[in-house]
Amino acid sequence: MPSAVAQTPLFPRGPGLGMRLVIYLLISVALIVVDVRYRVLDSARAVVATALLPLQQAAQSPLTLYRQVSGFFVQHADMQLENAQLQQRQLAYAAALLRYRDLEQENLRLRNLLGAQARTPLKTRLASVVQMPRDPYNRTLTIDLGSTQGVRAGEPVIDELGLLGQVTRVYPYSSEVTLITDQDQPVPVMVQRNGLRAVVFGRGDDGVVDVRYLPHSADIKLGDTLVTSGIDGVYPQGLPVARVVNLDRSANHAFMQVKCVPLGGVDRYHQVLVVENAPPPRVPAPVATAPQSATHKATKR
Amino acid sequence: MKSLAPQGPSIPVATNIWWIVASLLLGLMFNLLPWGEAAQWWRPDFVLVVGLFWAVHQPHRVGLGVMWSLGLLTDMVDGGMLGQHAIGYALAAVGALLLQRRLLKFNAWQQALQILPLLLLEKLANVLTATFAGHAFTDARYLLSVLSGALLWIPVALLLQRARGSAGSTDSA
Repeated sequence: MPSAVAQTPLFPRGPGLGMRLVIYLLISVALIVVDVRYRVLDSARAVVATALLPLQQAAQSPLTLYRQVSGFFVQHADMQLENAQLQQRQLAYAAALLRYRDLEQENLRLRNLLGAQARTPLKTRLASVVQMPRDPYNRTLTIDLGSTQGVRAGEPVIDELGLLGQVTRVYPYSSEVTLITDQDQPVPVMVQRNGLRAVVFGRGDDGVVDVRYLPHSADIKLGDTLVTSGIDGVYPQGLPVARVVNLDRSANHAFMQVKCVPLGGVDRYHQVLVVENAPPPRVPAPVATAPQSATHKATKR
Repeated sequence: MKSLAPQGPSIPVATNIWWIVASLLLGLMFNLLPWGEAAQWWRPDFVLVVGLFWAVHQPHRVGLGVMWSLGLLTDMVDGGMLGQHAIGYALAAVGALLLQRRLLKFNAWQQALQILPLLLLEKLANVLTATFAGHAFTDARYLLSVLSGALLWIPVALLLQRARGSAGSTDSA
């Protein structure tokens, strides 16, 4: 029986190896074009992603086990020290939070006076990272929440330090998050200090993002914090994105070269927050009080 | 009775298909393991190495078509362009199939040296495809996994050869 022999046949029949390779390469190229240009293969991806999820979670178990075991053997002194630190930090946060609540109320009142739209508070969902492919061509995370848990494509993903990225593909029980460091992934930002608007682009490189298309005269300094500007309708306003670490104003380039470090832990493996219902309505609904008072004024005159 | 048994190198026999499936699944699981930040660049492509092992040892079972499908699976797992890894896997498989008769004459160390160019070919095909799709190549550390993949060949070959040997004897018995 020739098929039972574990050798390549000396006298092969059918199309030769080269011919078959060419056929497979052509199919691959067609697939790439279809996938990149038209994005019609996402349903097939969803099936595979759902089937793979148990395997991904099983692959996580050594890490979970390690964390549990190492958590068990923490020394008493370390624990006490950490506890003290945490208590101190909580106290500091509590003071800041009290102030924040007061400011929020004040802000709301002022906004009401101005007739501006009130800021909606962020609703978030906790998710854990199940996979992080090491591929310079796609900086993505896979998280363990999917469309059955209500995650939708386009929702921002943050951690406790700042913006991580955006949900780009949603599968039934998992979803894919494109990080802000992914090549040419844009995030509209503003400089927190003076409100200067700019756009941050990923480079496809760990730990570095660029601000592009800023004129040489733009008012931006080393150490400036960039936060989301919220004008894109995707990211809510005010999430920290990156800090400026390098400025090049030389006339060699048409625009200023601004190098930034992402503030969120884009290369870390931990829990993340998916921000719900982030996109505000494109056409803001008129606030009940403001237009009325405006019309009153108009009629009075 | 013992002297009547053939004494030369064992005749290659077909391996149980479940060995192949199980080893590939195990390879996929290793690919999915969370790797530390420093180790991530050194992470070899387990599925590719295991697939190439079977392409060399069982070319009737794991040929060009199976390797291409494995590449497609890797693309889906990584969430990259569909077809990017498939091209690389297919090219590496063709190399393995061309070298197949010669590779069986060498031991695992010497095989690893000849597998290294195939792994490099796969990575370069990835880089080329991505470049055509509009991504710039930014980090040469990407090629480090070629070295670790060649090193991985040695334990994989020794382990799977042993598993295959025992499976083959139970098949024939």
